[in-house]
Amino acid sequence: MGLDFVGQDADQTDGNIITTTIDKVVNWGRKNSLWPMPFGTACCAIEMMATLASKFDLSRFGSEAIRFSPRQSDLLIVSGRISIKMMPVLKRIYDQMPDPKWVISMGACASCGGVFDTYTLIQGVDQFIPVDVYIPGCPPRPEDLIDAVLQVQQKISSGASPKGVEIVV
Amino acid sequence: MNEEKEVEEQSKPLVLEKLEEHYADALLAQDETRGTVVIVVRKEQVYAVLEYLKTDSELAYTFLVDVTAVDNSQMESELMQFDYARFMVVYQLYSFQGQCRVRVRVPVHENDLNIPSVTALWKGANWLERETYDMFGINFEGHPDLSRILMPDDFEGHPLRKDYPLRGRGERERFNFDKQNA
Ligand code: SF4
Repeated sequence: MGLDFVGQDADQTDGNIITTTIDKVVNWGRKNSLWPMPFGTACCAIEMMATLASKFDLSRFGSEAIRFSPRQSDLLIVSGRISIKMMPVLKRIYDQMPDPKWVISMGACASCGGVFDTYTLIQGVDQFIPVDVYIPGCPPRPEDLIDAVLQVQQKISSGASPKGVEIVV
Repeated sequence: MNEEKEVEEQSKPLVLEKLEEHYADALLAQDETRGTVVIVVRKEQVYAVLEYLKTDSELAYTFLVDVTAVDNSQMESELMQFDYARFMVVYQLYSFQGQCRVRVRVPVHENDLNIPSVTALWKGANWLERETYDMFGINFEGHPDLSRILMPDDFEGHPLRKDYPLRGRGERERFNFDKQNA
């Protein structure tokens, strides 16, 4: 967590006042309370469940409040195969999530179709929704998903916009 | 005990005996594999045969396990066998009473894909026949709602046919979002 963003003028204030910018405080809050929306359609989702359960415990990183309503979440975890019939559903869920929102594409299938180079499977969800972090593997280990969440956190605290948002200067 | 078993194995299964008695002209072939009786039935009589298998009190094949199809277009020998029928519609039945299975195969020609629906006999045939229609294009006559079940409604073609390319005909690149969302 760490209060690394804080500017402190200890001499003048006896350490009782901290100064910072509003963006940094907001991002600090955001990054430590990501609310994931699980979109688990296949075997990768099992690893995602393991990540959330006690053994790997994603709540250590502040992302345990899984929401099954896209309107209450800001991190979409696509874990599994997405068929051409499922893609409109995924897109609609992504559209329903409030900004700012981040997307993790978990596993080979979501990222590039994996071994399923067939007539029905989307060869990479990033053709249709913007993806912030890709996780390789079939399936990725829970540690890989945790690493991806940490990468999203890094991205947030660095002040970078999510992939899906156009930066308005 | 052993002798008894041997005698049982040698004797003809009841289902074959009864079918030969009542529907001899419908049977094109018969076989037995791993304890399952396999019969090939003429399309014209398939409904009658299935109804008989279900309703006969001694056989009582009341459970329809599966309906599916096989595309034999790349198996020359099979094609030769049943008058060049490209497809085989397969019904798998189970009898709780006799605790045995029977597989009914029906040759279906490419230029006449109609076959009677068995939804009137088994309600569970509804989705199974829809899947077979979706994947192979078999037309089950009398089905209450023969629409696609796995593929999107606007999908063209029947992807489990052997001549359907594995990677499709470009549908995964060009499927239409707006149309699907509407
Ligand atoms: S990447 Fe592997 S584990 Fe993940 S959904 Fe695909 S096949 Fe399953």
